[in-house]
This record gives sequence, structure tokens and C-alpha cells, in this order.
Amino acid sequence: MSDSIYYFIQQIANGLTIGSTYALIAIGYTMVYGIIGMINFAHGEVYMIGTYISFIVLAGLTMLGFDNVFIMVGLAMLVGIMIASAYGFTIEKVAYKPLRSSKRLIALISAIGMSIFLQNYIRLAQGSRDIAMPSMIQGGFLLGDPDGSHILISYMQVIIIVTTVICMAGLTLFISRSRMGRACRASAQDIGMTNLLGINSNNVIATTFIIGASLAAVAGTLLGMYYGVVNPYVGFIAGLKAFTAAVLGGIGSIPGAMLGGLLLGVSESLTAGYFTAEYKDVVAFSLLILILLFMPQGILGKPEVEKI
Amino acid sequence: MKSMVKKTLLGLGVSAALMGATVAQADIKIALAGPVSGPVAQYGDMQFIGAEMAIEQINKAGGVNGEKLVGVKYDDACDPKQAVAVANKIVNDGIKFVVGHLCSSSTQPASDIYEDEGIVMVTAASTNPDITLQGYQMIFRTIGLDSLQGPVAGRFIAENVKPNRIAVIHDKQQYGEGIATAVKSTVEKAGYDVVMFEGITAGDKDFSALVAKLKKNNVDFVYYGGYHPELGLILRQSKELGLQAQFMGPEGVGNKDISSIAGAASEGLLVTLPPSFEKDPKNASLVQAFKNKNQDPTGPFVMPAYSAVQVMADSMKATGSTDSEEVAAYMHKTAFSTPIGNVKFDEKGDLTSFNFVVYNWHQDGAKSEAK
Repeated sequence: MSDSIYYFIQQIANGLTIGSTYALIAIGYTMVYGIIGMINFAHGEVYMIGTYISFIVLAGLTMLGFDNVFIMVGLAMLVGIMIASAYGFTIEKVAYKPLRSSKRLIALISAIGMSIFLQNYIRLAQGSRDIAMPSMIQGGFLLGDPDGSHILISYMQVIIIVTTVICMAGLTLFISRSRMGRACRASAQDIGMTNLLGINSNNVIATTFIIGASLAAVAGTLLGMYYGVVNPYVGFIAGLKAFTAAVLGGIGSIPGAMLGGLLLGVSESLTAGYFTAEYKDVVAFSLLILILLFMPQGILGKPEVEKI
Repeated sequence: MKSMVKKTLLGLGVSAALMGATVAQADIKIALAGPVSGPVAQYGDMQFIGAEMAIEQINKAGGVNGEKLVGVKYDDACDPKQAVAVANKIVNDGIKFVVGHLCSSSTQPASDIYEDEGIVMVTAASTNPDITLQGYQMIFRTIGLDSLQGPVAGRFIAENVKPNRIAVIHDKQQYGEGIATAVKSTVEKAGYDVVMFEGITAGDKDFSALVAKLKKNNVDFVYYGGYHPELGLILRQSKELGLQAQFMGPEGVGNKDISSIAGAASEGLLVTLPPSFEKDPKNASLVQAFKNKNQDPTGPFVMPAYSAVQVMADSMKATGSTDSEEVAAYMHKTAFSTPIGNVKFDEKGDLTSFNFVVYNWHQDGAKSEAK
């Protein structure tokens, strides 16, 4: 009995870990959609670039002889956030801003083009092979009998979940308390009106892209360290999963993206754990279809006028 | 409508001019098709350096029937769709001889095109048995089959490892699932139960749920059918999540990259690989030639790729012709002496004999024969 409970908790922990990172990336999709009503398909690539940057920084620091893991990871994350934000900002300025007044579909094609461009640019710059990094944080918390049934949650999993919670809390505070957060919420409701009221919507949109890119870079650093490998294609699958999470939770809604990410992660890990890993994606996407059938706006989304 | 016709005609004119340009050269072109990019490009390199070395040495020795061989690289990225595009491009480029492809799932669809167009194809790496089951006359391989490799692995598990609870995992691709199925049936015949037989998704990064499940089932031996990027991560996550099990994989995981992905977790991994042809004293001068160019002759597909080129070149010399059908017919009935030993093809185009050997993998990327 206790054996199966341990197993269940273990799988939930695994699911929460992967789900938190989906949630971090999903925020970028959902915020951009909430404000300008388009899907930023290049967002997954920003995550991938964040992973590369953190790898490069970690490798550089190791070569310089640093040995404090927390300082190294902190620095890697910081540099990752800065450079990924610059990418997010530039992507918006180059690929979306000139098209803002055109049809949504045109911006969507521009987004897909941007995604392909970034993927191939990294492929040419960094090579198409997996780049690996040794695990820096080993070990974990063990609950139960080490030789019998037990739960093992690695420190890395704990770090991922805790960092995600901190980021989410920070973001919620920012959106609900700060001036810029209020401007974001106002723009999500009616961007034309906020412009008339003297809020520079260009700044709001740029901020949105920077926040999304920063969270993607955090996810990139964490997942890069957790898995230890990166290649130019990781952004595509991660982006797709995060986009699914955003839709599942209700695109445009920030708590929805968090919930959607966790739900997707846990459903994947429970499918792999109790059914078979082969059908993990099948179940995750069936869940998406089912939820959208009964709740077309997603779990926490508000019904709204069609924007696309 | 009229303008469309004009454009089409213009297009035809341009492509005809391009085709004219390729035909004008007298060299014998050999297409080298495999992944230049993508996650398994390492294996592509093995195939390319082997084939290019053979082309270079044959040219140095006077070429074939007075003409030089020229290798032309094509990138299929180990993607079946791209492999078909590459095959069509090879047809368009008028090339009649192909070394490749690498991944079984790419070779399979491409081989249909080569057979139809009368192009000789020799793969140095695709081990799925289905590829040569179509009764094709133009398709050959200079590597063993999964149906040979699987039983070697299965027998080693049953006779040497003797595990209590076996799990067989694969990546749902033609190569991985094929070999995993062969291993499963061999160990089952030897009286072992396979407690888990599951597929994962190639390209996936998170295997924590799978590892937890292996742990729950008290698995002490895992056979993985697939390639190194996924097995590397499974090994790494198994170590982090405290799974104590012996892992084993086919030659698709036997690559130095698995050590950089999995680190210490790759120590002691069992791998079935083609024998170390580079240790054969007959190949000493060839090995030296690779070393002089700073290339690594130890990869499992280097010598098979060299042999693939050599077999085609020998057949062209013997028949005095570059007619692909004639060359293929000659290849079917003749024995060749190559760096991988005596090569004789059966009527399906497979080698009549090929050995696989079980190795212990080490975390520095080296390997030693397992006992």
C-alpha cells in the first residue's frame, strides 16, 4: 500500500518539475496573446537561446576556476535573462512591430519565420549536435526506506519547483501592484483606449516580450542543468508543449498558464508512470482536446471576442 | 495561364542546362547520403570519412577504368522525408552509385527510389532487416542486421549477465524497435520474463517518469533500442533518481557523445558493436592513413563505409563498366576482400556473415571487450 502511494507521489513530483518549466515558458505565450492577440511562435527559440547562453556562461566560469555552484548558476541565469530579453525585445521590434496594424495571420507567419531563422542561426553558430554539460548539483531528498520503497526528489527538481514558485509570485506581484503591471492589465483589456489615456503601448508591449523572454531564459537555465544537454531543436518541442499549456489554462490568462503547465506536466508523468510512456503525448493532447470541447476558452480563460 | 506555361518552360530550360553541366564531367560520381546535420550527425561523419578515404585511395591507385571517383555529400539529417528528397535529387543529378543512407528509417523509403531508378545503393549502417526484404536487386549493405545483433545481445544477457528482472525500452523508430523486439524474443526464448516493454519518444528530454517506473518494477537490467541522445539522458536521470540497473544498447548508442551526456553514468554500459576492424593487423596501413589525416578509424561505420565504396569500385573495374545494373549483378555473385573481411552478398543483398561483439563502455568514451 505505502509502496503505491510513494510511487504516486514520486510521479507527481516528476510531473510538477517538468510542469513548472512548461508554465514558465507558457507565460510568454499567454502575456503576448493577452495584449496584442498574436501567438509568438518564436518564443520557444528564446528558451533555447537562454539554455545556450547559460551553458556558455557556466562553461566559461568553470574555466575561470569558479567552484561555488550557486554563484555560477545565479550568474548564468542573470546573463541568460539579459541576453534572452534582448532577443525577445529585438524579435518584437523586427518581426512584429512593423506588422502590428496588419492582419493577425501575417504576424503569425512572421513569427514562424522568426522561429525558423533563430533555430537555423543557432544551428550554424553552435553546430547541430547535442552539447552536454556534467551535472553540477547532485543528490536529493530521500523519503522512506533507501533499499525498499521510497521517494527520491533530486535537489535539482526542488530547485526547479522553488525557482518557478518565486518567479510566479514575483510576476503576480508585478502585474497586480506595479504601475507597469497595471498598464499591462489595462492594455490587455483595450489597447486603443490605454493609448488614448496616455500610456505608451509600445513600452507595454516591449515589457511583455522582455518578461516572457526572461522567464523562458530561467526555464532554459533550469532545464539545461536538469537534463544536461541542449541542441538547436529543443525550443520547438518545449515551445509546443508550453503553447499547449497556455491554451489549456486559457490563453491570455497568467494563472491559467501556470495551471495549464502543471496540469500538462502531471498528466504526462502519470501517463508514463501508470500506462505507457509511448502514449504520454497522446494523453496530454487528448486532454487538451477534451478540455477545449467543454471549455473552449480554456480552464481559466475569459470568453472574449475573437481576435485572430 | 499563358505566363504559367512560359514559366514552366523556362524552368525546364534551366534544369536541362544544369543537368547538361553534370553529365559533361567524365568522373564517376558516388553519392554519399547520410546525416551531415541533426542529432545523429556523428554517425554520418563515420560513414563519410570511411567512404572519402576509400575514394581517395582508389583514385591514388589510378582510379576506376581510368576515371576518377568523386564523392558528393547529401544531407538527409536522418529524416525519412528529407531522405526521399535527397534520393530524388541524386536521381536528378544523374548519379548511379550511392553509399548510404545511415538511419534505417531513411534508407527504407530512399531504397524504393534507387531500385526504381536503377541506382546501386550500399548502406554501411542501416541494420533493420526489413530494408532487404523487398526482393530488390540494387540494394546492398556492408553491415550486419538487427536480427543478428539482437540475438547476440539477447544471448549475452541470458548467459553472462543473468539478470532477475529485464526491461526492454525502445524509441519507436524502425531501428530501435526492431532491435528491441529481437532482444526481447531472444531472452524470452532463453526462459527470462521481460517485465516491461515500452516505447519512448525520440527527442524527448524528460525520462523521470520512466525511470520511476523502472525502479518500481525492481528492474535490474535495461536494454535500450535506439540512439545515444535518449539513452544518455536515461542513464543520467537513472543515476540521479537512484535506479540501480545494468544498461545495454546497440551500436546506435556506441558513440563518445554518450559519455559526455551521461558522464559517470555511462561507465559499464554494455554495447553490441561490429568488431573492431581497426585492430585487424591487415588494416594497419589503412588505420595509419586515417590517423595521418587526424581522423578516428574506430567508429563502427568507418570500415563498412570504406568497404562499400571498394566493393562498388572493384565491381566497376571487373565488369569494365559503369552500368549500374551490370555492377549490381556482379556484386551479387562475387566475393570481395575488404577491410571488414571477406564480403559476400546473398540474394537479398545482405552479407552472408557478420559478427557483433559485446563491449563494456567507459566514461572516457573508450570501450573494452566484455566477458
